[in-house]
Amino acid sequence: MEWFAKRLGISVLLVWIVASIVFLAIHLVPGDPAELLLSQGGAAPDPAIVEDLRDQLGLNRPVLEQYLHSMANLLRGDLGNSLMDGAPIAGEIATRLPRTLELIGAAALISVLIGVSTGTLAAVAAGGPFDRVASALAGLGLSVPVFVIGTLAILGFAQTLRWVPAGGFVAFSQDPVQHLIMLAMPAGTIAVGLSSTLFRVTRSAVLEVTMRDHVRTARSKGLSFRRILTRHILRNALIPVVTVLALNLGTLLGGTVLVEYVFNWPGLSGLLVDAVNARDYPAVVGVVLVISILFVTLNFVVDMLYAVLDPRVRHG
Amino acid sequence: MRRLPWVSAGAVGLIILAAVLAPHIGLADPVGMDVAHRLAGPSPTHPLGQDEYGRDVLSRLLWGARTSLGIAFAAAAISCVIGTILGVVGGYVRGIAELLTVRSMDVVLCFPPLLLALLVVTLLGPGASTLVPVLVIVYLPSFTRVAYAGVLSVRGHEYVTAMKVLGAGRLRIMTRTILPNIAGPILVQFSLAAASAVVLESGLSFLGLGVVPPAPSWGLMIGAARGTMVQAPLLLLWPCLALTVTILAMNALCDGLRDMLDPHPAARRVSWFSRFRRRAPTAPLARVEPDTVLDVRGLSVAIGDPAEGRYAVRDVSFQVKAGETLAIVGESGSGKSLMSLSAIGMAPAGVEVAAGTSGMDGADLLALAPGELRKLLGDRIAMIFQDPGSSLNPVHRVGAQIAEAIRAHRPVSAAEARERAVAMLRNVGIPDPERRARAYPHELSGGMRQRVMIAMAIANGPRLLIADEPTTALDVTIQAQVLDLLAALKRDGGLALLFITHSLPVVAEIADRVAVMYAGEILEEGPTAEIFAKPRHPYTAALLRSAPQDDGPAPEGISGTVPVPGDLPAGCVFAPRCDKRIEICDETRPSLFRIGPGRSSRCLRWASL
Repeated sequence: MEWFAKRLGISVLLVWIVASIVFLAIHLVPGDPAELLLSQGGAAPDPAIVEDLRDQLGLNRPVLEQYLHSMANLLRGDLGNSLMDGAPIAGEIATRLPRTLELIGAAALISVLIGVSTGTLAAVAAGGPFDRVASALAGLGLSVPVFVIGTLAILGFAQTLRWVPAGGFVAFSQDPVQHLIMLAMPAGTIAVGLSSTLFRVTRSAVLEVTMRDHVRTARSKGLSFRRILTRHILRNALIPVVTVLALNLGTLLGGTVLVEYVFNWPGLSGLLVDAVNARDYPAVVGVVLVISILFVTLNFVVDMLYAVLDPRVRHG
Repeated sequence: MRRLPWVSAGAVGLIILAAVLAPHIGLADPVGMDVAHRLAGPSPTHPLGQDEYGRDVLSRLLWGARTSLGIAFAAAAISCVIGTILGVVGGYVRGIAELLTVRSMDVVLCFPPLLLALLVVTLLGPGASTLVPVLVIVYLPSFTRVAYAGVLSVRGHEYVTAMKVLGAGRLRIMTRTILPNIAGPILVQFSLAAASAVVLESGLSFLGLGVVPPAPSWGLMIGAARGTMVQAPLLLLWPCLALTVTILAMNALCDGLRDMLDPHPAARRVSWFSRFRRRAPTAPLARVEPDTVLDVRGLSVAIGDPAEGRYAVRDVSFQVKAGETLAIVGESGSGKSLMSLSAIGMAPAGVEVAAGTSGMDGADLLALAPGELRKLLGDRIAMIFQDPGSSLNPVHRVGAQIAEAIRAHRPVSAAEARERAVAMLRNVGIPDPERRARAYPHELSGGMRQRVMIAMAIANGPRLLIADEPTTALDVTIQAQVLDLLAALKRDGGLALLFITHSLPVVAEIADRVAVMYAGEILEEGPTAEIFAKPRHPYTAALLRSAPQDDGPAPEGISGTVPVPGDLPAGCVFAPRCDKRIEICDETRPSLFRIGPGRSSRCLRWASL
């Protein structure tokens, strides 16, 4: 319980640090931020418009006041308004966040199912034909950037074979089947890299655990092969697998941005890419903040999972 | 150390070469438009065709390599230099410097890399001049961490201390002593960062937020070709291929470098399945007296393929009776553990039983089908191992691990198995067994864990218990308790105990009979009292002299070391270290002579000892 409270405390601290950095980023850049955001290709922007933006962003007030103000707003869930259309950013994020989460969840689920099962099979028959083919495929899967996979998948499955639409989104409540079909391509695309990573870790973790003394003990107890594999080998091998999953969360979230863009999945990243293109600073800050909080939260969840898997951690 | 990964290094070298030479090999202008021939197919002047503005695709591909690799290597190099300096200073100076350099980097890790990049791009605007600082920020923490960890592991070493004593300044120590030692991991990190930077750069360019058009970049080319993928799919495939091959080569180089620099390369793993094979019986079982529990005859065990002739155990025979303790004694490396594991069909991976039988209840354990052997293991045959810390599964409660052994062989409910497990813990003298059954192994002391192991081993009332150095990892008082416990079990339960140890005092305390093993052979066997009083093999005598005694001469070591399998002396295996050696000992390998009731020796000169 004490351990739990400590991890939770650290996570809250991290969120605060992230929020502060995102706030400070605009002040760390040399020059006037408003002018910077409005400058296009070297042409000096109209001073009146710059002044307007400064006012809108609250840049004319003392930095400390701005900071406290934005932190207080953040606590109330207010992320400010978009510079493009003046709409509240928090509302836009609230509609899009669940779609991003769904995509991440589906991709992680597919990756764990494929990566852990094939990794285990490859380890059990290490050096055999399945192991060699799967290891080579995983090496390739790790090397193809996620947007290349997505683009090629559209070319192959959508444009040439015409099995699935090239992208887009239908709400689950509207048409569940179509929703899942449209989810399959982006989720599968993210899963290529992640399942390759998980394959590799699972394979080497299973091989490593197999050599341990307690597996010999399990054999000496006369347990069945399946029981030794599941309860004694896999159960222990999952610990490094979870560690690596945690290390890859950042790549996963980054990959989600690209994949949402490729498949027109209306999650957070569409908002983000548009906002970056339009130099809509409040919107970028809002999305980056939310995804970073998501990142910290996922790390916290992984820590919890870690504690469930490894009783030794709970005491450390 | 393994060899440099030539194939991947060569591939990466070729790509770098192409990038460097791109402006000098007479390529078409990568940004020169020719709208009349937009999307034109391959032609002599444009070998890979023309893109949506009629620009030469081959030229753009090679110039794209220049852009991608240039940005990636520049970013990796800058973050490598800054990160290493920060890590080395933080790790060497510690204190406030550590906080400022290493800990502050952890903050950067709160952001997913692509997001951090997008945040910076929003502020600075897209373009190559933004990309380099963005990528530097993203990869800085990893270099700092690697350098920091390297310094921490190196700074305690004697030679760093020696440098300090010699009066070398901090800067000198950091650059001359520490840097060369962390160069390996930094190099691996550099190649990882460069490969990852290529991916990140192309991703940002693909989104239109990296390299600014019309400059050639693979990410931009892929992004642009998406619009015309139906008319000109090749336009899309070329940059995808270039990017994938580049990253594949760089990743392979990273893996190769890591393997090359790994000081402890993973041993060639042997498939786990190979241990579940059945072998044909090599000889019919001999007739034995009814109270013999285990009857091992002519057991030979080879490391690797028996045809290679590396035998770790040769022609070992022994019997254990009910209610009797046979101690197998020998130095480390004599093959005693391997022999006993092999005798009950649990030979580890990479080891093969080449000959012999192991009889129990009229069946040859070495020829049983895996399923039949499994029914005996944990039921009639049980084992206790040396290190109770690693021999228990760290993630399950000890009660559950005992209950699991019971349920593997007895048709009882989970609740009943749990109750029996608690009863077993009480039997082996664990106080408050209900509570302890719910503990994880790491929550128990070493002695307590070994009691748990014993409780687990005897849970199904085995007839044979193999104890492999069960007290070696324990301190002396706990050792005595565990030995008492084993003696009591043997006395009350008619258990046959095969006790493997290198400790003669322990043998004297627990064993009825002793078999002395050396270099994979039994050199002498007999009743404990007789062996201790009158050893009939020079090795036994030397072992006895090497053991400390309360009253008597100071212990004497045995000079030399145990020979390794595959490199044995031609004659008696002990001859090179033997003080009673005569000429014939170096030429003839003696067989085991029966020298009295229940006594045997492998020494040619046993009668004169």
